[in-house]
Amino acid sequence: MNLAYLDVRHRLGRFIGTSLGVALLFAVVLAMAGIYLGLVDDATILVRSVRTNLWVVQQGTRGPFADMSRLDPSIVARVAAMPSVKRARAFTYQVMQREHAGRSLRFALVGLDFPVDRGEALALTHGRPIVQPHGEIIADASLGLAIGDTLHVAREELRVVGLTKQLLASGGDGLIFATLADAQLLAEDTPSDAIRAERERRTERLRATDLGRAQPSLEALTGDPDFRAPALASSPIAAVLVDVEPARADAVMESLAQWPDTSVFTSAEQEQLLLDGVVDKPRKQLALFAVILVVTSSLLIGAVVYMMTLDKTHDIAVLKLMGASPWRLGGLVLQQALAIGVVGYGIAVAIGVQAFPHFPRRVVLTEDTVMGVFALVLTISTVASILGIVHALRVDPARALEG
Amino acid sequence: MDALRAEHLEKHYGQGDTLVRALQDVSLRVARGSVVALLGPSGAGKSTLVKALGLVSLPNAGRIWFGDQLVVENGRLLASVQELRRAHLGFVFQRSNLVPFLTARQNVEIACEIGGTPNPKKRALELLDWLEVGHRAASMPDTLSGGEQQRVAIARALANHPKIVLADEPTAALDKVRGRAVMELFRKVAREQDAAVVVVTHDHRTLDIFDDLHEMEDGRLTPTALATVAAH
Repeated sequence: MNLAYLDVRHRLGRFIGTSLGVALLFAVVLAMAGIYLGLVDDATILVRSVRTNLWVVQQGTRGPFADMSRLDPSIVARVAAMPSVKRARAFTYQVMQREHAGRSLRFALVGLDFPVDRGEALALTHGRPIVQPHGEIIADASLGLAIGDTLHVAREELRVVGLTKQLLASGGDGLIFATLADAQLLAEDTPSDAIRAERERRTERLRATDLGRAQPSLEALTGDPDFRAPALASSPIAAVLVDVEPARADAVMESLAQWPDTSVFTSAEQEQLLLDGVVDKPRKQLALFAVILVVTSSLLIGAVVYMMTLDKTHDIAVLKLMGASPWRLGGLVLQQALAIGVVGYGIAVAIGVQAFPHFPRRVVLTEDTVMGVFALVLTISTVASILGIVHALRVDPARALEG
Repeated sequence: MDALRAEHLEKHYGQGDTLVRALQDVSLRVARGSVVALLGPSGAGKSTLVKALGLVSLPNAGRIWFGDQLVVENGRLLASVQELRRAHLGFVFQRSNLVPFLTARQNVEIACEIGGTPNPKKRALELLDWLEVGHRAASMPDTLSGGEQQRVAIARALANHPKIVLADEPTAALDKVRGRAVMELFRKVAREQDAAVVVVTHDHRTLDIFDDLHEMEDGRLTPTALATVAAH
């Protein structure tokens, strides 16, 4: 006969109420674990999605995500010319916020080195890769954009031609992929007044030099919007993505590491940089919350199970007089604690499945997480039952003889 | 043959000026199939003696036998208390003390399980039928009358075929009619289950049911004739 089950059935209301309270706590523990996994996945998914072996960035930086990195675009050709390099692509990355359709749209803009990289490596759920050098983008569905939507940015029209799912930046913002040219155009988007002011300042600076005074005709060039002085550098890129033959990856990396103006990371190192830098503090914060919740859950279950055991003190004394073994009495308390934990956890998972998809941040619930937290719940319940078990074992059977 | 024998039991509480001698040189023999009453005023030591005999609170000195087995000697238990309770003892309390979350049948069945009785459910139903409460087997304790509760409690005490049944004021919460009915059940238990039954009672109206009467006063036990008690 299972005394724990029969007692629970007798006090079903209290059991359900307790399990619901515990379920809410476990749901938050699950959410913490899921948000953490989402954070890690979001932080590293871009690195995985671009599918490259090596990341070349500005020397001494940990760019382009954990740190700012600026490289001259000419490095792409230098890298591409190396032996064993199959492909080298320029890469830009910046977080932007713009108005779209009456709402604020925050996104991370990634520049693809069109036509070398059209976004074919991305897992598109709808649409197609970029085929035009200008005016086409691939956007993540989390931004609320649909195929054919047009984004008006920097006096340009960018049309959504492809959609991805859950392709987010480490900050949780959806990603937009554009050609490198469009990305740079957006990055350098400057208001008209600022452009006019800059032209005037350029003319003033020219007049202050001997060259400007000797050749006044140069002033016409400073006012020309299409003029770009040959001495000025092209727009910088953030990184160069290098695809190499796997067997030669170490050798190529060793060669690139010798260059004085670049640093090089493998994709795995790049992921680790993101985890160490971008995700580290939120990760610790989530872990701290999770620990507090686990302790709270243990205390709650412990208190409830202890109270339930106190209520049964007289019954336990009677059972002891019958000769009930400590195992049976301890088992009664332990099984009730486990029942509260398991039922609470079941409700928590059900809550999670329904509610987590509506959370503002992505909550990733893997089978490993669900099983891992379940193992934690069993541990919590077992630990929480100790006080009740100790009380049950200490009950004096003489109490059964009291009136 | 004696089912229960106690010799020279002593039980003290406190020390020095606060020393209370709850049992003083108490000896008792109870034969199988007999019903014995322990009488006496409150504080005389009746419950202390029952606790000692039930191995709930061991005496400081003296010896106790269950049948031929010496189980307590000079305050020391000579075997596992759980084993001894399961093998020899059944308890009936002042109140029925039925486990509130178990039905009448389950209350008896759990005692059968703990006592290692084969087919506990069948045994529980048999006992309830024998005590004429079989029709309430599926009822929860709080739906039973006081008399029915005590019948179920007696059934529970008999679950493990005990050789000794200890009852501490089992009719205290019952009216005259129900009280007598319960006392008659103890006689039935002694005769038909061949058990030694020791009953602590204040109810002098049912003393004719008992085979032996013992009166306790100030921790001492004296055999008493029914006529002597009736004269008080």
